[in-house]
Amino acid sequence: MADAAGTVGARVSPQVDTLIRAAQAGDQDAFEQLVRTYDQSVLRLAMNLLRSPEDARDVYQEAFLRVYRNLHSFRFDCSFHTWLYRIVTNICLDQLRKRKVRKEESATVETSEGPVDRMDAFHEEAAHADPERSLWNGQLRARIENALKDLTPRERMVFELRHYQGLRLRNIGEILGTTEEAAKNCLFRATQKMRSELGDFT
Amino acid sequence: MNCDAISTLIPLYYYGELTPEQEDAVEEHTHQCRECADAVEQQRSLAAALDRREMQVPPLLLEDCRADLLATLHGGVSRVPATNRAHKGPWALFLEAVSHSFSGLGRFRQPIGAMAMLAIGFFGARLTTTRVPVTPPSGSDDVFTTVRSVQPDQSGHVQIAYDETRRNMVRGRVDDPNIQRLMLAGAHEDNPAVRVEAMDLLRTRAGSGSTEVRDALLNAVAADSNPAVRLKALDGLKPLSGDAEVRKALSRVLLSDDNAAVRMQVVDILVAHRDDYMVGLLQGMVQRENNDSVRLKLEKALKEMNASVGTF
Repeated sequence: MADAAGTVGARVSPQVDTLIRAAQAGDQDAFEQLVRTYDQSVLRLAMNLLRSPEDARDVYQEAFLRVYRNLHSFRFDCSFHTWLYRIVTNICLDQLRKRKVRKEESATVETSEGPVDRMDAFHEEAAHADPERSLWNGQLRARIENALKDLTPRERMVFELRHYQGLRLRNIGEILGTTEEAAKNCLFRATQKMRSELGDFT
Repeated sequence: MNCDAISTLIPLYYYGELTPEQEDAVEEHTHQCRECADAVEQQRSLAAALDRREMQVPPLLLEDCRADLLATLHGGVSRVPATNRAHKGPWALFLEAVSHSFSGLGRFRQPIGAMAMLAIGFFGARLTTTRVPVTPPSGSDDVFTTVRSVQPDQSGHVQIAYDETRRNMVRGRVDDPNIQRLMLAGAHEDNPAVRVEAMDLLRTRAGSGSTEVRDALLNAVAADSNPAVRLKALDGLKPLSGDAEVRKALSRVLLSDDNAAVRMQVVDILVAHRDDYMVGLLQGMVQRENNDSVRLKLEKALKEMNASVGTF
């Protein structure tokens, strides 16, 4: 899957390169353009991980303010995408850890079918026409939520970046400051946990 | 490879993260082993179920985020440039004192006829303990000293840290560039009443073509925490409703400002000069506007533009 900037994990493209240099020299318009190149995928990541528009908005703001303050220290020794995602994933991981500690209310509500995502954006498949299928979907959804809650913040992050954002594990390792091998192990543990939780459903 | 070894490779196989040799081994094995072939299928269904869970970003959230960010950035970087200490004349002292928000209070007086009389005072001792008038270094200026810390050392000396603030009075015409710079500086004063009055004065200069005045008004609309200041600044932007920068900034304000009166006035300014982009923005706003008066105004504006009220 390609991100808004065109390529994932690639070296900085000449166009982005120019924008970064201009923004580093204080060009406000270039900075805005740079933000617009990447902000959709940043917001999508935050939204899917934290499942709350308010939290996603906070992550967006915090991340791009950090980019603004620290852009001068970007030295082109990795792709800008990787550099940006280091910032974003750090902020998201902090949020996930805080939630874990506080056992904060999740973005789910209890229903007769088990917990259901409050901000649900599930694509129900003709649920009304088939009550049995609807029940099954509801239960599956609840199990998925539970399975995801069982993941550690790091496993959750690796899974998110690989499954939903389509990044390669090598790049994910680079973003999270670890090896490709460690990212592989994380992804393996995450899928194992989910498969054992969802085994009979899938 | 046995089934145990293969099962550990299945997730990575699904995500295409195996070496070609490992991939071959998995495929060879699953052709012969029903159980492992099922496990691959299971992995696929799991992924499909998870795909359906992906959350959609609510429409307009991205625009809101962008507006937040720009408001913060512009609010934070719009200060009057620092003046070189070595060439500090009375004007520079003024600007520095006002724009750096010492713990000062400021006061603007109303213009008398075409003349503006400005009196800006700084009382550094508002929060602190001691205020000692000392001999002013030049002429009749009042200098107030605020002692920040007193530290005796062992040699019997005392080290005192203090801030000096100076009160000056200036008088000049509204179109005097120096007066204008002061008015721009007043836009950043701590006291909102001063900012309202500064906006009121800048308003009279908005049509002069000065981008500095325009930007000061725009910054106030986008970033000032006080709605009265934002409304006053909007008043000043009325003659500039056709200016592309103004329209761009006001579109953001329309999406992000939490004050209905401000949004009402923004709609008025935006519709005073029509462009194609407007219709989409206003249609989007009608959908999410929770204030009846603002929504009615938006609907009316759209009708006048012969545009449909919703985006269908």
